Parts: sequence; C-alpha cells; structure tokens
Amino acid sequence: MVEKFSHELLEMLTCETVFTVGNIAVSESTVVTWIIMAIMVLIAILVTRDLKVENPSRRQVIVEQAVVSLQGIVRSGLGKSGERYTYYMATVLLYLGLANTIGLFGMKPPTKDLNVTVGLSIMSICLIEFAGVRAKGLKKWAKGFMEPVAVVAPINVLEIFIKPVSLCMRLFGNILGAFTVMEMVKIVMPAVVPVAFGLYFDIFDGLLQAYIFVFLTSLFIGEATETEEEE
Amino acid sequence: MSSYLLGFGAAIAVFTGIGAGIGIAMATSKAVESVARQPEADGKITKLLLLGAALAEATAIYGFVIAVLIILLLK
Repeated sequence: MVEKFSHELLEMLTCETVFTVGNIAVSESTVVTWIIMAIMVLIAILVTRDLKVENPSRRQVIVEQAVVSLQGIVRSGLGKSGERYTYYMATVLLYLGLANTIGLFGMKPPTKDLNVTVGLSIMSICLIEFAGVRAKGLKKWAKGFMEPVAVVAPINVLEIFIKPVSLCMRLFGNILGAFTVMEMVKIVMPAVVPVAFGLYFDIFDGLLQAYIFVFLTSLFIGEATETEEEE
Repeated sequence: MSSYLLGFGAAIAVFTGIGAGIGIAMATSKAVESVARQPEADGKITKLLLLGAALAEATAIYGFVIAVLIILLLK
C-alpha cells in the first residue's frame, strides 16, 4: 500500500517528456505553456476587435477597466521611476496567474517544473540590473554597491545571486507543495473533499504566488531605478 | 537502515515550518490589532499582511523543497 502510494506520488512529481524533435526533448511544462499562450493570444485577439474612440461597446469598457486595474496593481510596486516596465510585469502576472491555476483543468502547472521558475527569475534579475544601469548610468550603478558603506559591497554583490534564487524557489516550492497536497488528497478521498482544498491550493495560493512574484520583482525594479533627485 | 535515516533527514528539514507558523501568527495578530485601531486602513493592511505572510511562509517552503530533494535525490 505504502509502496504503491509513494510510487504514484513520484510519478506525479516528475516532469515527463512528451515528444522529441531531433535531439531536443520537449517536456510537459513547455506544451502546457503553449496551451496557455494560445489561450491568452486568443483572448487578446477576441477582446481587442473593433475598438472605438467614440461610443465604445460594453465589451471595450470592461476591457479598459481591466487593463487600468492591472496597471494599478503592477505600478504600486514599480513607482514613478520604473513605469516603463509596467507591461512586462503585467504580462508575467497574467501568465503566472493562468499557469498556477491551470491545475483546475487537470493539467500539470508549468511552474511545478524548476526550469520554468529559474528561467523567469533569471529574466527578472536581468531586467532589474538593466533597469538600474539605464536609470542611473553605469558609473552610478556600480557605485550603488558601496552603499551605505564600502565594507558591505561583497554582500550587495551576493544579493544579485540571492534575489533570483529566493524568487524561483518560493514560486517552485509553493506550487509543488500545493500540487503534492492536492494529489495526495485526490488519492485518499477522490470525491467532494478535493473541491474545498482546490479552492485554497489551486486558486487562492496560485494567484497569491503570482502576485508575490510580480510584486517583489517590481519592488526591486523600483528600488534599482530610484534616483536621489526625485526624493 | 539508510532509508530510515533519509526519512529522519527529511522530517528534520520540515521543522522549518515552526518558524513560518510563529511568524505568520505574529503578523496576523498585529494586523488584527491595527484593523481594530484603524478600521479605515483595512485594504492597505490586508495587502501588507498577505505580502508579509507569503514572505514568512517562504522559509517553510524552503524546508519542504529540501525535504523533497533529500527523498528524491538521495534515494
């Protein structure tokens, strides 16, 4: 019984290769990401058809409201100086929100694969440092490592590596943990009970983690682009 | 014998949950206090509480990840 249980659990946790093209193995997370991309592109095309400046349709008003509230969510972390990065962060928020909750439709969330979260967090740290260099200039950016005193410079440099590790481990661990608990519940009690757990683990936790990832990244960007003249 | 030791290792790693539990409990109690004192700041406090709870939870998640890695990689 225990052997079978642990074997089933291990099968759920590993990320399978769906098919191979030549020497490249296409894993499950990639295919689910394609599905998410297809859904998002389809929605984007459907809601942005025939937009008008004068007497807009009801659909257009709803879409505009949604876009404005999405901008508001992202900008609260970015601040004034990092406003130009709003749309990248909003895209990541939409993708992560859909990716984390796709477990509801019986698919494995792609963020359960460590490679996906590592990729996302490397993109985040590159954007953070790029934004810092762009806003302050190379010299001032390099000088920023010496603050508040020169002795802490090694710790500041170390932070470049710590930030993405903590970002990707948080996302990966949360989704993997939620997924594992859900699969265990489904094995033990297949009826009714998973609904209540799914509400918390799939919807609430998934959306919260997407928000946390985006909020922290935009907070770091806001911090990196902040110049003294604005204060 | 070694599989028992692996199990012990994984169980010890999950002890990080204690810290996260205490941390979230303290954050929530303070949030309740501040909402009672200033009900109009409800929205802001909720947002900060969720953020803080998610950050405090991260230590428990690290423990969980390490426990899973111990079981999967050292088996």
